[in-house]
Amino acid sequence: MRRFLQRHVSQVALSPSLALIAIFLYGFIAYTAAVSTTNSKAFPRFDTFVGLEQYWRLFHTPRWHVAFTNMFLFGGLFLLVTISLGLLIAILIDQRIRAESFFRSIVMYPMAMSFVVTGIIWQWLLNPTLGIEVMMHQLGFESFRLDWLTNPDTVIWALVVAAFWQGCGLVMALFLAGLRGIDEDIWKAAAVDGIPAWRVYVFIVIPMLAPVFLTVVVLLSLSIVRAFDLVVALTNGGPGVSSDLPSVFMFDMAFRRTNLGLSAASAVVMLGTVLAILIPYLYIETRERA
Amino acid sequence: MIDLRISNCNKNYGSLRVLKDINLEIERGEFIVLLGPSGCGKSTLLHIVAGLDRLSAGAIEIGGRDVTDVEPKDRDIAMVFQSYALYPTMSVRSNMEFGLRMRGKPMSEIRPLVEEKARMLHIDHLLDRRPSQLSGGQRQRVAIGRALVRDPKVFLFDEPLSNLDAKLRASMRTEIKKLHQSLGTTAIYVTHDQLEAMTLATRMVVMKAGEIQQVGKPEEVYHRPVNLFVADFLGNPGMNFMKGHLRLEGGRVSADVGAATIPLDGYAFDTAPTDGQAVVVGLRPESVQPSTGGEPFALTLKPTLIEHTGSDNLVVLAMGGEEIVGKFPSDMLPTLGEPVTVGFDLSRLSVFDAQTERRI
Ligand SMILES: Nc1ncnc2c1ncn2[C@@H]1O[C@H](COP(=O)(O)OP(=O)(O)OP(=O)(O)O)[C@@H](O)[C@H]1O
Ligand SMILES: [Mg+2]
Repeated sequence: MRRFLQRHVSQVALSPSLALIAIFLYGFIAYTAAVSTTNSKAFPRFDTFVGLEQYWRLFHTPRWHVAFTNMFLFGGLFLLVTISLGLLIAILIDQRIRAESFFRSIVMYPMAMSFVVTGIIWQWLLNPTLGIEVMMHQLGFESFRLDWLTNPDTVIWALVVAAFWQGCGLVMALFLAGLRGIDEDIWKAAAVDGIPAWRVYVFIVIPMLAPVFLTVVVLLSLSIVRAFDLVVALTNGGPGVSSDLPSVFMFDMAFRRTNLGLSAASAVVMLGTVLAILIPYLYIETRERA
Repeated sequence: MIDLRISNCNKNYGSLRVLKDINLEIERGEFIVLLGPSGCGKSTLLHIVAGLDRLSAGAIEIGGRDVTDVEPKDRDIAMVFQSYALYPTMSVRSNMEFGLRMRGKPMSEIRPLVEEKARMLHIDHLLDRRPSQLSGGQRQRVAIGRALVRDPKVFLFDEPLSNLDAKLRASMRTEIKKLHQSLGTTAIYVTHDQLEAMTLATRMVVMKAGEIQQVGKPEEVYHRPVNLFVADFLGNPGMNFMKGHLRLEGGRVSADVGAATIPLDGYAFDTAPTDGQAVVVGLRPESVQPSTGGEPFALTLKPTLIEHTGSDNLVVLAMGGEEIVGKFPSDMLPTLGEPVTVGFDLSRLSVFDAQTERRI
C-alpha cells in the first residue's frame, strides 16, 4: 500500500478533481445529450425516447434559425470590428505615445465589467429617450436618430458595439504584447531599407502576429457562442426574437417554455459548434509545439 | 578621400552621457573596427552614423555631404545586425529585393543583382526559403546579402557574428575580410571579440565609457597601447603589469620593479622620464619566453601554475610578490616549483605613468 502510494502520489492527489470533472463536465454533457433524445417537458423523463426527433424539430423552428444565423452574423461582425479596431488601437499605442499607460487603462477598463453591466450601460446609451440620441438633440442635431435597439434590422449592431466595447481591451492587450515582442532590429533594418511604417506593419509585422490572431479568434469565438448575459441585459432577444442567440434560445426553451428536450438538443448543437472551432485550433497548437 | 566624418559627436540619454565628443575621420575603403567593453557606446555610435538615433550635438558627414538631419534611408548606408533582423514573413529573395523595390528600382535590374550577390555569398540555392528554414550562418549571409545589393557608400556591422559558434565565426570572419578586399567599400564594424578586431581591421578604435581611447592599426594598438586601459583590454591572456619606480643614473634609465631592475635603454619614451617616477611596466606574455641564452635581459623564476592551451603553455611565474605569465611553446614544459630562466623581449615593453595611466 505504502509503495503504491509513493509511486502514484500525483495520480492520487489529482483523482478527486479528475472525478469531479468527469461527473460535472463530461457526465452532464452526456446527460444533456441523453435528454436531447427524449420528449422531456419541464423535467427530464427518459421513458419518452424519441430518437433524433428533437433535432429535426429544432431545425424546423424558425426562431432557432434566427438565433443560429444571428450567432454567425453577430459573430462575424464582432470578430471583424473587434480585431481590426483592437489591432489599430494596439498599433497606435505602440507608437511610444506619451501617457501610454493612461490610454491602456482606458481601453482595458471595460474588461473588468460584467456583461450584465455592459448591457445595461449600452441599453441606456442607445435608448432613444435617454441616451446618445437625446444628447445629440440637445446639441442641436435635431434630425439625429439612433434606433438600433428598436429596429429589428439593426439591433444586431447594438450587440456588436456593446460586445466590442467590452472585448476590445483584451484584444488590444494581446496585440500590443505581440507588437512589443517584435525584434527592434527589424524596425531598424526597415528604416535603413527605407520601408514606410505602414508597409512594415502590413507586410512584415502583422504577418508575424499570426499566432496572436489565432488566439484572439478562438477566444472571441468562444465568447460569441457563450454570449448570453449581454443579450439578456441589452435587448432580451428583442425586438421580437430578432436579436436572439442560441444560448438565449436554449435558456428560454428550458426554463420558460418547459421544453427541456428541445433545449438539450440546442445545447448539443452549440457544443458541436464550439468543438468545430476548438479542435482545429488545438490541432494547430499541438502540431506547432511538437 | 574622407568617406565618413564624425565631428564632436555627443549623445546623452537624460543626464547619462553615452558618447563624449567623438571625433573620427574614415578614409574611403577603410575597415574600421570599434572595440570596447559592453555598454561603452559602440552600438550607439553606429546607430548615430546610420541615423537610427539622433545625436545630441555634433555632425556626421558621409561622402562629403552633411547627413546629420538626413533619414537613414537617404544616407547611402547599409547595416547588418547581430540578430540578423531578416523579415521572417518573406523569402530570402524578397528580403534582399525589398529595399531596392522601395527605392523604385525596376525588377529587371533587381533580379540579376540579387542573384549575383547571392552567388557571391553562396546562398543562391536558398533564395526561395524562409529565414526560419535557415541555419544561423546562412541567415547572417542573407543579412549581409541584403546589405550588399544596396551597394552603399558605407557598411555598418553591429556584432554580426556574435550569435554564431566559434568555428562558423572564424570562417565568416575570413569571408567578410575577403568580401571587403574585393569590394573595397568603407565599413564600420562593431565587436567585442578581439580576434575579430585584430584580423579584420585596417584601423581599430578602442572605446571606453563613451570616449575614444586609441585609434590605430591593430598591431600598433596591440604593441603600443596609449594607456593602461587599452593595454589591459587587448590580448588574451592579458598583459603583465609590474609596478615600480624609474631610476635615472648617469644618463641611463631603468625601472625598479621590486624583484628586478629592468633596463630601459632601448625604450622610446614619449615624454621625458623623471627620477623616482611611479610607473607600471607592461609586457605581453608572448614576450616572456624560455631563455635561449642570447637575451640582453633574463631572470630565473619559479613556475607556480601551468595551463595547456594546445598551441602553447601558459606558465605563471612568481616574481617577487607578484606573478607574471609567460607564453611558452608547447614543447617547452617546465616543472612546477623548479626555477627556469626566462628571457624578456625588452623591445616590446610598454611603460605607463602610475598616476595618469598614460604611456610615457
Ligand atoms: N535608449 C536608451 N536609453 C537610455 N540609455 C541607453 C539607451 N540605449 C543605450 N543606453 C545606454 O547607453 C550605453 C551604451 O549603450 P550601447 O548599446 O551603445 O553599448 P555597446 O557598447 O553597444 O554595448 P554592447 O557591447 O553590450 O552591445 C549603455 O550604458 C546603455 O545603458
Ligand atoms: Mg551593442
